[in-house]
Amino acid sequence: MFDRRLVFHINWGLVALTAILFLVGVINLYSASALRVATGIELDSYFNKQLLWGGAGLLVMSCIVLVDYRHFKAVSWPYFVLSLLLLVGVSVAGKTIYGARRWLDLGFFNLQPTELAKIAVLILGARLLARMDGRLGWVNLGKVLLVGLVPAVLVVKQPDLGSALNILLILGGMILFKGIAGGVFKVLIVVLPSTLPFGWFFLHDYQKQRILTFLDPGNDPLGAGYHIIQSQIAIGSGGFWGKGFLQGTQSQLRFLPEKHTDFAFAVFGEEWGFFGSVILLTLFCSFLYQIYIVAMEAKDDFGSYLAAGVFFYFFWQILINMGMVLGIMPVVGIPLPFISYGGSASVVNFCMIGVVLNVAMRRFVFKNA
Amino acid sequence: MGAFDTPERPRIFSGPNLLLICIVLLFCVFGIRLWYLQIYKNDFYTSRAQENRTRQSTMFSPRGIIRDRDGVLLAENTPAYALALVREDCPDIPKTLDQVSRWTGQPRDELEKVFEIGRKRVKHFDEQVIVPNIPFELVALVEAHRLDWPGLTIAVRPKRSYAYGPTLAHVLGYVARANEEELNDDPDLQLGDDVGKQGVEYVLERRLRGAKGLEEFEVDASGRVLSSRIVTQPVKGEDLSLSVSLSLQEVATKALDGRAGSVVALDADTGEILAQVSLPSYDPNEFVVGISHAKWKELLEDPEHPMQNRPVQSAYPPGSVFKLVVGGLALESGSVTPATTVFCSGSYKLGERSFRCWNKGGHGLVDFKKSLRESCDVYYYQLGERLGVNAISDYATRCGFGVRTGVELPHERSGNMPTAEWKLKRFGEKWQRGETLNYSIGQGYTQTTPLQVARFVAALVNGGKLLRPTLLATASPDVIGELPMKASTRKLILDAMVATVEEDRGTARLLRRTGIRIGGKTGTAQVVKLMDKYEKKKTQEIPYKYRDHAWLAGFAEKDGRRYVAVAMVEHGGHGGSDAGPVVAAVFDALFGVQQGN
Repeated sequence: MFDRRLVFHINWGLVALTAILFLVGVINLYSASALRVATGIELDSYFNKQLLWGGAGLLVMSCIVLVDYRHFKAVSWPYFVLSLLLLVGVSVAGKTIYGARRWLDLGFFNLQPTELAKIAVLILGARLLARMDGRLGWVNLGKVLLVGLVPAVLVVKQPDLGSALNILLILGGMILFKGIAGGVFKVLIVVLPSTLPFGWFFLHDYQKQRILTFLDPGNDPLGAGYHIIQSQIAIGSGGFWGKGFLQGTQSQLRFLPEKHTDFAFAVFGEEWGFFGSVILLTLFCSFLYQIYIVAMEAKDDFGSYLAAGVFFYFFWQILINMGMVLGIMPVVGIPLPFISYGGSASVVNFCMIGVVLNVAMRRFVFKNA
Repeated sequence: MGAFDTPERPRIFSGPNLLLICIVLLFCVFGIRLWYLQIYKNDFYTSRAQENRTRQSTMFSPRGIIRDRDGVLLAENTPAYALALVREDCPDIPKTLDQVSRWTGQPRDELEKVFEIGRKRVKHFDEQVIVPNIPFELVALVEAHRLDWPGLTIAVRPKRSYAYGPTLAHVLGYVARANEEELNDDPDLQLGDDVGKQGVEYVLERRLRGAKGLEEFEVDASGRVLSSRIVTQPVKGEDLSLSVSLSLQEVATKALDGRAGSVVALDADTGEILAQVSLPSYDPNEFVVGISHAKWKELLEDPEHPMQNRPVQSAYPPGSVFKLVVGGLALESGSVTPATTVFCSGSYKLGERSFRCWNKGGHGLVDFKKSLRESCDVYYYQLGERLGVNAISDYATRCGFGVRTGVELPHERSGNMPTAEWKLKRFGEKWQRGETLNYSIGQGYTQTTPLQVARFVAALVNGGKLLRPTLLATASPDVIGELPMKASTRKLILDAMVATVEEDRGTARLLRRTGIRIGGKTGTAQVVKLMDKYEKKKTQEIPYKYRDHAWLAGFAEKDGRRYVAVAMVEHGGHGGSDAGPVVAAVFDALFGVQQGN
């Protein structure tokens, strides 16, 4: 069942980059967990938990690698439906944390169906796109978009605008990757931006506030603007070489909010400076480049679209998270892959890598398929 | 077939190009942004991070304590509580001010005004005093509601307190809240600080104040203090011992018996001021807690001017006391000898005008000693004629009249020793010969302060040294000049002053004490040119404001201790009988003489 030759075709570059990024994330989390108190330094529990999540992720990743990705096609619809059911379930019986119903309590851990939905959209999207010929016309475009819109609407209700946007952006990236028919593209270029103002009315007040605050952080320096300001102070004060590991005052003295999760990169920027940040940025770009290679070399359209979907899964997260931390995008709760703390997110990240590795290692096996 | 083996060539924004563009864009945009934040704006953010984690707080230092020469506490610091606000800790300032208004009963808009004025001057996280001097019951109330009103704190600030209130008000002065102008002029001052406004507190402000310290705290985001260090140690203000004796001050105050006037007592050899009384007085403690507008107006508009420090800030004609100066000049210039006699018939004729002696019956033949002892005006009219206005002015100035003494008290008046030139400039009129006669008996435009008189007498007594009078006990004598008088001249004058006390015809007989060498000179300073209708009347029958000022300048020595005391009773009537008992009381106290001897 398992072909030994597959091992030789594993994309070791991607594995290495993933390992390095995870390691950087863990080290950074160690620092983010350290809190300076009057008696010295105190460590909170995030660090150990993240190691556990990493292990769980590796396990899931291994499982995914073992199963030929072409079998995903067969389960794409059932899995998609299941994830929709879970999303509906979460809105009925979900656990409310911070005023949002996003988690299903499974006893040993809290499941975030949104993460499963991302994978479902990605696989189903890839399957549909692979079956369509040429660039997308209105009909095909509509079909594919529906795959994203249905879960997105359910997610928005949680409310989790960030994830909903994330789902649509992943699918959107895949659609662009496939290509849109010239006429359709021109219409969309004109129509889409003009619908944006209407979107404003669907936003919650706090979401509107975030966007306003992004435009002018000074107008709410102790509220939403606080995050943006403190994060830029952390990064800016890092300078070229940074303040050094465990030396970031912004994070250790708790000026930086959500430093384990959404603002973990600010901790990194403060302690490792411009030097470290650019290296990390380079790592992320190389990481994306490896996925790009996989998408290019995949031996079938489905594999290519899967890899492209994973590419956009990571690309948007990196873009939005860093953009938010660096103060050039509004604050949306999206973590930075491998660097931010997060259970479901970590496991899903490894799943995604598993999918890509899966596609990569089977690029020669099915030559005649 | 791969995804891009389609016959159509991929467009720029789709397929592999799209992914590569994404990667390059990601790298470029964030690389530039990182460069901007971490390199270009590094200094800015570094200081912001520093501001985040450090708070500075002022360490107050107590003001120096002031004691009298015997160690009695005159001005000390007592703890006082103030209601203060820390802006950064206060989530709702308007609501908090409402509550403060409810607690203290102070009008809401006034509190708002105080807050607004201070806002710009108070550092981040520093306390801003909103209501100074709150009673202890309110302190307890605020403490009890601490959690309900974050941002409100009780600030403990030392408050100045003057145990003897009005008795030393004009010496010590007072401290009060620094005003806008003082805050602008002195960078060391902070809003809510007290500064010396009058007296020694004002003049020696720098020495008394000390210096504030600065403490720096490292804090976390919730304001918890992690560590602290003292950046600058506070320096306590210097403690001062004054030359003034509280007990003597009380004796002199009592002797003035509520009348408006001055008393100055000096140690003749050191220039130390032992007592310096100015009546009426005021209570300096009222200024410390913040005087009400009504009370302030009342003090300013009081016709008796309680805020005026008379010994140094009021200048009067010296009257006959000035004869000591004119007599000295006459002897020094050789215009007269001690034996020269002048006949006093009760008046002196100059041209068509007749100048009267106070003794209408006349003194008969008057020599130098008798001229002082009995204060004969005619004798001095004649000296004035011989000496001339400018010589008198010049000489009096060298004796310390008409110039500031330099004592540690603010707003000292210099007085005035008129010259012919001065009058021309001041009034555009020529000096009249008759005015020189008036001048030589210390009337007219002549103006001097009680302290100048005291210093002059001290110089006569101490061997001719013109000293800078001082309120500080530790100061060594500061000799600023020499009296323009030979020792023999001084001796003649002193002997005449002793005769004024000792001999039965003397005008200062009241001062006579056995066992102590006491000398004196009386003076009566005309307030207005005596109007005929009051001329024959007794003092009591003349309206208060037209009554003459009464002077007595005396010295006393025993066992090598030499003191000078000058009393000046405004509208007191006659020098000997009205100012004399005051000086006598001072000497009695200084030499421990029991009253009623």
